[in-house]
Amino acid sequence: MLEIGIILAGTLYGLIIGLAPGIGATTGLIFLFSFISYFDPYNAVMFCMAIVAASTTFDTITSIMLGIPGANSSAATIVNGFPLAVKGRAISTISAAVTTSTINGLIWGGLTFIFLPYYTNIVLYFGIPHLWGLTIFAFTLVIFISKDWKKSAISLMLGILLGLVGVDPNTNVDRFTLGWDYLADGIQLLPLVAGLFAIPELIQRTKNVRVVKEYKQIALGIRYVIQNKLLALQGGVVGAIVGILPGIGGAAADWIAYSIAPKHGVKNVIAIEGANNSQKATSMIPTVLFGIPGAPFAAILIGLFSYINFEVGTIDLLEDIRFFDHMLYGFMAGSVFACIICFSLMSNIIHITRIPYKYYAPLIFSIIVFACVQYTGGWEDYIILFIFSLLGICVKKYNFNAPALLFGFILSERIEALTIQMVALYL
Amino acid sequence: MKYFILSLLLVSSIASADFTFIVPQKPGAGTSQWTEIVVREMQKYLDEKIIIKHIPGARDIPGFNSFHEKYMHDDTYVMVSHGGNGVSFLQEEVTYDYSAYDSIGLMNLNIIAGKLKHSDMNPVKFAAGSGMVPEAYAMTMLICGPNKTTDQYIKCFKDNVVWVKGMSGGERRLAFRRGELNGTRENPAAYKKHVEPNDKVELWFHHGILQPDGSHTDDPNYLGYQFELLFKEKWGVLPSGQFYNAYKLVKSFRDGLQKAIWVRAGNPNAIVLREALHKVATNPESISAIEKAVGKYEWIIGDDGNNRRDLLMTFISKDAMEVLVYFNREALGLASVNKL
Repeated sequence: MLEIGIILAGTLYGLIIGLAPGIGATTGLIFLFSFISYFDPYNAVMFCMAIVAASTTFDTITSIMLGIPGANSSAATIVNGFPLAVKGRAISTISAAVTTSTINGLIWGGLTFIFLPYYTNIVLYFGIPHLWGLTIFAFTLVIFISKDWKKSAISLMLGILLGLVGVDPNTNVDRFTLGWDYLADGIQLLPLVAGLFAIPELIQRTKNVRVVKEYKQIALGIRYVIQNKLLALQGGVVGAIVGILPGIGGAAADWIAYSIAPKHGVKNVIAIEGANNSQKATSMIPTVLFGIPGAPFAAILIGLFSYINFEVGTIDLLEDIRFFDHMLYGFMAGSVFACIICFSLMSNIIHITRIPYKYYAPLIFSIIVFACVQYTGGWEDYIILFIFSLLGICVKKYNFNAPALLFGFILSERIEALTIQMVALYL
Repeated sequence: MKYFILSLLLVSSIASADFTFIVPQKPGAGTSQWTEIVVREMQKYLDEKIIIKHIPGARDIPGFNSFHEKYMHDDTYVMVSHGGNGVSFLQEEVTYDYSAYDSIGLMNLNIIAGKLKHSDMNPVKFAAGSGMVPEAYAMTMLICGPNKTTDQYIKCFKDNVVWVKGMSGGERRLAFRRGELNGTRENPAAYKKHVEPNDKVELWFHHGILQPDGSHTDDPNYLGYQFELLFKEKWGVLPSGQFYNAYKLVKSFRDGLQKAIWVRAGNPNAIVLREALHKVATNPESISAIEKAVGKYEWIIGDDGNNRRDLLMTFISKDAMEVLVYFNREALGLASVNKL
């Protein structure tokens, strides 16, 4: 009974951080350092996994209902999810997203956590050239599976260029910073995401999200997933593969799923949402087996587990069946509880959309700004947000590919590092 | 509204904090996690509130610079630094200056290098980074032997070492496990966790433990593998000369200041903070909590910390700095600057 209560608490915590714009599993887990030591260690593992599963499901709601990423990893959902919400299909889209998230979470959570100790060799097969090839393949997909490949290529390259701002890994000196020390640590992801997606939407939005026939729409969303089950599973497979590869990163799974799925409508959302839950599950494979984080949230999880005396990547832990059982229970039950809560509360949660836009827009704008200025809290954060908001407005106005730009930005550092490493070791 | 209220609560809690610990990293990074744990234990003995303020930035320099330029003049601000700050202090343009602070406490540790058992190590394939500079010096001297000029060491390094840039810690561990790298290094806790269990790996060398007299001694956990001992065993003489002095300088600043807590020199709060840290270090429960989370390191508290800092400063010489910067630039490709 206590265990169920703990998983439920983790799910509710995941609900809060999932719904809050810009706060995902990574940020949510950081907060746990202050109180996680009061838990029984195994229950703490369960609690953490429930948070990971639940926040990944709940951040979808913010992305679809408000057009603002609930977390960095849910930015891809906005592209098609929010327009559907504007057209009055919010509930069916969320319903489809939650269904595919839960199914893929359960499938890949089960496959991951039941067989976790047996996966060691899989990760070792992917060397630097393979990771490099996979990243280039992902770039190619983003460019050519789009309406206008030229604009997609330009957007992708611009994203890569922005990602190169910071420190040159070859010389360890600042690069493309225009003499501004603030940029020496690179452009922060959240202001870029907010500027590209959320702010233009807030400024240019003229209509409220419309909600119609709620209960029928829930059933309709589930039916969409059944009708597109192969697409949902395809998204899950993409997420699972990306999750297992530590060099690629979390949000990349969504964008790869976005690129290979049909570009418009709920089908795209189904693929993306399948990817982000399976990615969360399989990213635990390199994390637990080798102590190598499969995604940013996993890096925090390593610290938390260490804090409660579970040293990931050690032989001792791999022999601790109880640890794996608690990971399994936490993730699986967290996924199920999140699904139940979503469907139960959906008709209440969507009431936010009945509030006239002019009343809640300032609040949302304030939350976005608050989240984006947490990097230093100084005026520089505001400037960066302003610059990328202008960029986002231009990208939207001239129909450039904002997802491709973000995709390039996210993988820019990785492709540069992988290229340097491959040249040094293999050429 | 609730966010507004939460913001107000957050702001008011910061305003009412008795101490603010500045960490030069984002939340969740290594030193940030260390600080979370140490602060939690210190608060028990201070009975006062400590807020952690993260000031991240390139190579973790801006946070420390901000402390020096702005925050340290407020006696409630405390700086938490790490070994990377020590290396940057030597070879980069920074404004922070250890001699301007009082040490609350610091942790001294050793770094252990491992290699693949059946690799001929020709060439050595090793992950690069400014944090790896001491390893570059050690492996160069081990491979190339004594009595060389810096230019000869640079050529020898280039001929014998593939210095692989752009790798994070996690990628380095995975690449080593896959055999793409044949050498790696870790702190003792990470070495035990990531390297020792691998039966294809053997100990290569370690840097030794810095003593109050300025010497480095063998690590009882890895006896016989201290760099100086291995060098003598292979080449018949102990390492010496300018190149060795540069190595000793950079390894001491990285490992001797691996985790350090500072306040402005003369800050009256230093007394109460040192007392709290001393209680943490002598309470088995507190120290056990820290060791389990971040590894077992030697604590040097209060004046002993100042003495250790003063000792490190004596290693800085014109010759050592010239060699350090020259080798960094020519062999490792780092844009180091000589500030002397």
